[in-house]
Amino acid sequence: MSSPQLLQDVSSARLTWLRFKRHRLALASGIFLVVIYLTAGFCEFFAVYEPNSRNPRAIYAPPQQVHFIDPVEGFQLRPFVYGYHLTINPDTWVREYTEDHSQKFPLQFFAPGEAYQFWNLFGASRHFVTVPDTGYLHLFGTDKLGRDIFSRVLYGARISLSLGLLGVALTIVLGVLIGGLAGYLGGMVDNVIQRTIEVLQSIPTLPLWMALSAALPPHWSPLGVYFGIIVILSFIQWTGLARVVRGRFLALREEDFVVAARLLGAGRLRIIFRHLLPSFMSHIITTATLAIPGMILAETALSFLGVGLRAPIVSWGVLLQQAQNFQVIILTPWLLIPGVFVVLVVIAFNLLGDGMRDAADPYGGSNSA
Amino acid sequence: MSDELLRVNQLNVRFPVMSRGLLRRQTSDFHAVKDLSFHLNRGETLGIVGESGSGKTSLVRALIRAIKPSSGSAVFNSSQGQVDLCQLSDKQLVPLRTQMQMIFQDPFASLNPRMKVGEIIAEPLAIHAPASRAEHRGRVIEMLGRVGLEASAIQRFPHAFSGGQRQRIGIARALIMQPALVVCDEAVSALDVSVQAQVLNLLADLQAELGLTYIFVSHDLNVVRHFCERALVMYRGEVVEEGAVDDLFDRPQHNYTRLLLSAIPSIDPDVRLAPLSRASLGLPIE
Repeated sequence: MSSPQLLQDVSSARLTWLRFKRHRLALASGIFLVVIYLTAGFCEFFAVYEPNSRNPRAIYAPPQQVHFIDPVEGFQLRPFVYGYHLTINPDTWVREYTEDHSQKFPLQFFAPGEAYQFWNLFGASRHFVTVPDTGYLHLFGTDKLGRDIFSRVLYGARISLSLGLLGVALTIVLGVLIGGLAGYLGGMVDNVIQRTIEVLQSIPTLPLWMALSAALPPHWSPLGVYFGIIVILSFIQWTGLARVVRGRFLALREEDFVVAARLLGAGRLRIIFRHLLPSFMSHIITTATLAIPGMILAETALSFLGVGLRAPIVSWGVLLQQAQNFQVIILTPWLLIPGVFVVLVVIAFNLLGDGMRDAADPYGGSNSA
Repeated sequence: MSDELLRVNQLNVRFPVMSRGLLRRQTSDFHAVKDLSFHLNRGETLGIVGESGSGKTSLVRALIRAIKPSSGSAVFNSSQGQVDLCQLSDKQLVPLRTQMQMIFQDPFASLNPRMKVGEIIAEPLAIHAPASRAEHRGRVIEMLGRVGLEASAIQRFPHAFSGGQRQRIGIARALIMQPALVVCDEAVSALDVSVQAQVLNLLADLQAELGLTYIFVSHDLNVVRHFCERALVMYRGEVVEEGAVDDLFDRPQHNYTRLLLSAIPSIDPDVRLAPLSRASLGLPIE
C-alpha cells in the first residue's frame, strides 16, 4: 500500500481517464477524431488546392497513385505521381485516364503551392504536400469540373465537423436548461415541458427538418444558412438530452448530499452548479458525444437532398450530391469518398461515446480500476 | 443549563397522496406526524425511538425544515431571539442554518463524491462566513482534529475513507459553524458496532466541549439508553410515552414501549429472544 499514488488520493477525473484509457477502440477513435478535427481546422494548409480551383486537364479523373519505384531509376525516397493520359472511348464516349509515364510529378512536403488565405486572416502558399507548378496532384481524383476531391473533402470536413460540434453545443445548452428547469421546478412547468417534448418527438424528423430548412430565406448568405441549419438541427435534438437531465435532476434532488447542502443553507444556484451538475456532467458529455454523429448525418442527409447547405459552401453532404447519380458507382466511384469519411467519423464518435460512457462512472461497474 | 432551546407544539406533517394518471389530483394524505408536542432543553440529549414508519425521520426533517411541516409551531431560541421554525420562509431560514445542523444516517450518500473532504467541510463556511481560503483551511484542519482525522484528509475524496471516518467528516461539516442544535438521524445505525461506540463517544465528547444539544433518532434502544437523558417513544406518528430513559426502560407505561423493549436481543446467547406479540398487547398488526 505504499505505491507513489494511492487510489484514494486520485481525483474522480483521473480515475475516469484511467478507465477510459483501457478502452482501446475508444482511445483510437478519440485520436482519429483529434487528427481529423485538426486537419479540418487547418484545411487550407493540408489541402492541395482551393475547393473551387479547377484542373481542365483532369475532368472526372480517378485518384492518382503514389509511387516510390521508377522503372528507370528504380527505388527513390521521394514519392511521386504520374500525370494523366486521356483517351476518349470512341464507342461510349467515356473519358478513360491512364498513367502517363512521361510526366512525373515529385511530391514536395511543406513546399509552396497554390496561394490561399489562411482563416481569411493572412495570405500564405505553403502546403503540407504539393507538386511543382507544372504538375497536379489529385489523391482522391476529381469531379466533373476538375476540382480536387481530396481538397474538397478537407474543406467539407471543416463545415460538417464544426456543424456537429456547434449543433451539439447548442443542444446541450437547450437540453440542460429546459431539462434542468423541468427537473428542478417540477409541477406545472415540468408537465408542460414534458408534453412539449413528447409532441416534438412524435413528429418524423426528416420531413420536419426539410420543412424548416425550406423555410430558410433563399437570399441568406452561406454563413447564415450554415447557422440556420445548426439552429434547426439542435431545435429538434435537444429533447432527448432534456429528458436525461430532467431524470437526473429528479433523482439527485433527493440524494442525501444534496439535502445536506440545502440544510447547510446553500442557495439554488450553488446546489445546481456545485452539487447537481458536476454529478452528471460526465453523462451530459457522453450523451453529447453520441449526439454529434446524429448531427453530422442529419446535415449530410439534408445537403444530399438539396435542402441543407448549398453550393458555394463545401460540406460532405454537398459533395455527396454529385454522387446521387447511380452511374457514379460504375464510372466515378471516387466521388463516394466523402461518404467514407462520414462513415468513419460516425463510427469513431460512437466508439468514443461508448468508451466515455463506460468510463463515466469511476466508482461503479464491475471492472473498477 | 436547563433553559429551553426548542418547544414544539401541535406539530403535524402530512404527505399528499396523488392519484395516478394524467391529472394527478391529490386524493388523500398520509399523516406522518400527528399533533406532536415536546420541549428540548439546552445541552441535553433527547432520544426519539420507534419502529420503521413511526414518523421519527419525518419529525426531525420537519424540525430542521428539510420538509415543510403542515401545521403547528416549533419555537427555537436562536441567538437572535425566539423564532418559529414552522413559519419562516426558506430564505429566512438560511441564517439560522448555522445554528441547527443534521448528521445523516448514510455516511456514503451524504458526502458529495466529487468534492474533496476539505471542500465538503468548508462548505458551510463558504456559504455563511466568506473569508480567505487560508482562514477556512485553518478552521477545517482544527475541526478535523476534533473529530479525530488527520489534516491530510482535506486533499482526499470521500471514497478514500471508511464508513466511520466518513461519518466523522459528516460530523465535522455539521459542527464547523458551532450550531446549538444538532439532529442525528440514525447517525450510527449504518456503522458496525465497534465503530458505533467510537462515534457515540466522539459525539459525547463534542457535546461536552461545544455545549451541543442533540436530538438523537434511533431504533436501537440500547444506544438510546446509553446516550440519551430523555426519550420520546413514537408510534404511528404520535408520542406514546416520554420520560427519562431509566424510567422508560425500567418502568414502561405504554404497551408499545413494552413491545419495543421485549425485542432487544440479550447479550447472553442462552437467553432466547422472545418479543411480545402485538395482539397480546392490544396493538394493531400492520
